Amino acid sequence: MNSSGYKIFKFVFLAFWASFVVAPFLWALTTSFKTINGVTSGATYIPWVDYEPSLDGWRNVLGSGSQGINVVEPFISSVYVTIGASALSLVLGTFVAYGLSRFKYRAGFIRNGDITFFFISQRIMPPVVLSIPFFLMLQQLGLLDSIFGLILVYIALLMPIAVWVMVDFFNNIPKEIDEMAMLDGCSPLQTFLRVILPNAKPGLVVAGLFCVIFGWNDFFFAFTLTFTETQLLPVAIVSLNSSATPWWSLSASALISIAPLIFVAVLVEKYLDRGNLAGAVK
Amino acid sequence: MSIVAENINLTVDGEAYLRNVSFELPNEDFFIIVGRTKAGKTTLLRLLAGLEEIDSGRLTLDGNDLTKMPPWERKVGMVYQQFINYPHLNNFENIAFPLRRAGLPEDKIAEAVNKVASVLGVEEFLEKLPSELSGGQQQRIALARALVKDSKLLILDEPLVNLDYKLREQLREEFKNIFNDQRERLVIYSTTEPAEAMELNGTVIVMHEGEIIQIGAAEEVYNRPANTRVAEVFNDPPMNLVRGVVEGNRIHFNQDVIMALPDHLQTLAAGRYTFGIRAADINLQPNAYASEVQLGEINGSETILHIKLGDISLVTEQEGVHQYDLGASASVDFDLDQLYIFDNNGDLLFSPAANSSVEKAMQDQEKDN
Amino acid sequence: MFTKYKLLFLLPGLLVLMAIILFPLGFTIRVSFSSWDVIQPGLDWIGGSNYARMIADSRFWEALQRLSFISVGSVLAQYVLGFSLALMVWNQVRMKRFIRVLFLIPMMTTPVIMSVIWRTVFHESLGPANDLMNLIGIGPVPWLSTETMAVVSVLIVEIWQWTPFMFLLLLAGLLSLPKEPFLAAAIDGAGPIRTFFNVTFPMMSAISVGAIIIRLIEASKIMDTVYVLTSGGPGSATETSSYYIYIRGLRDFQIGYSAALSITYLVIMIIALTVIAKVLSRLVTEK
Repeated sequence: MNSSGYKIFKFVFLAFWASFVVAPFLWALTTSFKTINGVTSGATYIPWVDYEPSLDGWRNVLGSGSQGINVVEPFISSVYVTIGASALSLVLGTFVAYGLSRFKYRAGFIRNGDITFFFISQRIMPPVVLSIPFFLMLQQLGLLDSIFGLILVYIALLMPIAVWVMVDFFNNIPKEIDEMAMLDGCSPLQTFLRVILPNAKPGLVVAGLFCVIFGWNDFFFAFTLTFTETQLLPVAIVSLNSSATPWWSLSASALISIAPLIFVAVLVEKYLDRGNLAGAVK
Repeated sequence: MSIVAENINLTVDGEAYLRNVSFELPNEDFFIIVGRTKAGKTTLLRLLAGLEEIDSGRLTLDGNDLTKMPPWERKVGMVYQQFINYPHLNNFENIAFPLRRAGLPEDKIAEAVNKVASVLGVEEFLEKLPSELSGGQQQRIALARALVKDSKLLILDEPLVNLDYKLREQLREEFKNIFNDQRERLVIYSTTEPAEAMELNGTVIVMHEGEIIQIGAAEEVYNRPANTRVAEVFNDPPMNLVRGVVEGNRIHFNQDVIMALPDHLQTLAAGRYTFGIRAADINLQPNAYASEVQLGEINGSETILHIKLGDISLVTEQEGVHQYDLGASASVDFDLDQLYIFDNNGDLLFSPAANSSVEKAMQDQEKDN
Repeated sequence: MFTKYKLLFLLPGLLVLMAIILFPLGFTIRVSFSSWDVIQPGLDWIGGSNYARMIADSRFWEALQRLSFISVGSVLAQYVLGFSLALMVWNQVRMKRFIRVLFLIPMMTTPVIMSVIWRTVFHESLGPANDLMNLIGIGPVPWLSTETMAVVSVLIVEIWQWTPFMFLLLLAGLLSLPKEPFLAAAIDGAGPIRTFFNVTFPMMSAISVGAIIIRLIEASKIMDTVYVLTSGGPGSATETSSYYIYIRGLRDFQIGYSAALSITYLVIMIIALTVIAKVLSRLVTEK
């Protein structure tokens, strides 16, 4: 595979793919600085050359512009919900994962494998199926349109992810270390907290990051279960997506919502090697 | 310090790991469990540590019922064959861990840890992490942690098996010193090698297929194996066992191999017996019994030959390196002074050790009959 | 042994999950046997009428068909592309981290929000997509306004978003492969193509299957992208099962009927995905 023809092909292919990856972001970036002229006369690309740049788009979404669309509040709501749900899911899920990794469960014919499958198979559940019951349930509890209500719902989405990642991770820590801790005077709970968790940091980081990503990116549940009081970022932005909203505000808000994830992407990349994702897939 | 076990059974997934094991360990300090792989050694040790659950039976230590006691309440120290240390703690903390759990004051902890570390020769590594150490050093840290506790029971499950030869010899020497440090403590060590048991010189517990088949001093078990199973397990290579018929003055092993009954066995009654002889007591001797070589293994500076006399398969061990082709013939002779005799139940009738007499053996047999 | 602790670890998470999932699921099943809608809200019992209606509902079955096509098609494309990219990057030591982060980003982004951006990209007169098409001589493409192209647009967005997932997973798999078989193949004089088919691909089969199954599970739920990009259109050209159920349930407020659709959809998905998973795993173990 070393012919220079192939090398050129590789380079072109990778360059093409890299451009494809980056294109929407660049487009959004440049569009966010446009004004009406930069948009209605056809696609434009380079500021000052094709169009006159302006900060209107950014000012609008950050609350001080002429159209006063505020993206900051939904951003903060999203942060609360995502962090809250991820933290809870991680805690509950890690406990479950440790149990499944270390102990033998049996209830009738149900064994560990079945329980693990139950958790992981929750990902198959299409959100639509649960949307109406969730709506009614939250209504009964008075939790519609609230951050707490959303956190509860998100736990159902995110716990399976935490369990999936952590079970595999714990399985890779030799059980003998747990046994040694117990012989040294630790109950299983103390073993978990003092010995296993300190060794589980890479796994926890990966699980946590995945929870954050899936939580932040949810649209459907936020869409169906919130209205005016609480608005999450994806919903806020989609509701802007009508012809009334200028493209530059739209692009700016989209970029703001995506920015944190880019940061997360860097973190994920760093920890992926240690998290041994490939093993988890099998 | 005494351990009493009554009718312990442990079955995992349909396979019986321990069958009806009952024993009362005499009031000594140092025990060595000898047995092949899958004999149940590790299971028994884990049972004592509290890491396995018994299906039926009772286990008591000094009168306290251990059966339901969880491992963190038993005062047990354990060393595994894989060097197990806490990866996230440095070596000092590794050794100090059980002491911290017990709530000892800081200065006592430092004192105890440093003392044990110097006994085991690891003082210079205390600041490092276990992962920075070699295998032998890691095992020493594990050992240090097991020793530093005020434990009643110290369990070592084939601790040297993953180390190289030189290191094993070295540590074995050190073990002899460490385990005789006069603490009120029972040490149980497991190994597959009878030679190691003899070297460490403790009370041997021989296990085979989930059962205990003999308990006694190492030398005693070696010289007087209670039955053919012990004779096989407690010798490496296993003792050769061949059935033979005593008639008149001879032992008939098969049509071709007939030997004269040696003098000291003249009073042996006629009948069928199982005779045992060690591999080292079969020697290459010209003009003796002709055998065919089935397989030759060179083991260090010794040669192990698997030979066949007619339909009898034997294993012999020779000093030095001898090259034999498959199917070649070798002439061997037997040192009948070292002949063991077992009755038809497999129990020991006569051993060549000092203070044995055939007459007494015969009388005992008649009494049993 | 350790019973107290066993339960301490498992029960909190298990009970929470069961409460949040099983009750609503049970409720949905019950509702599917009622005729709850805007006109008559409330739980009555109409037996299997909703299900009967569903069987005759061609829009539902077409949506299912479309969903299968879009999900299987995009997952396969993601697999081929992702694998190709992974193979190309595999031996480059330099730039690997930068490439990994860069290629990683699309899968971290919020699908709906990217769809918002893509909508502007695909805009037929003001978007850069047609600019590009004009530039390379194809002429303006009706990205979002014809049935075929709408599906293509959805596929493009899905592929953009999720190929990185395949790329990452397969690259991790490639990096963890032992070197010996490759050395052996080289000694045997195998060329790159033969090496790939006889050595690389078989060794990657377990991970490939895992990655494909995971992506299929996620792809079968696709709705966000469709909602924003095409609103299921034009007409119902890109209407997936989730989208259709959403319309019936939360837009037309035919709650009883949409519940029946939901349950059927769920059961079909579970069966289909389990079968696919088993078949693929068997293929792997037989190799």
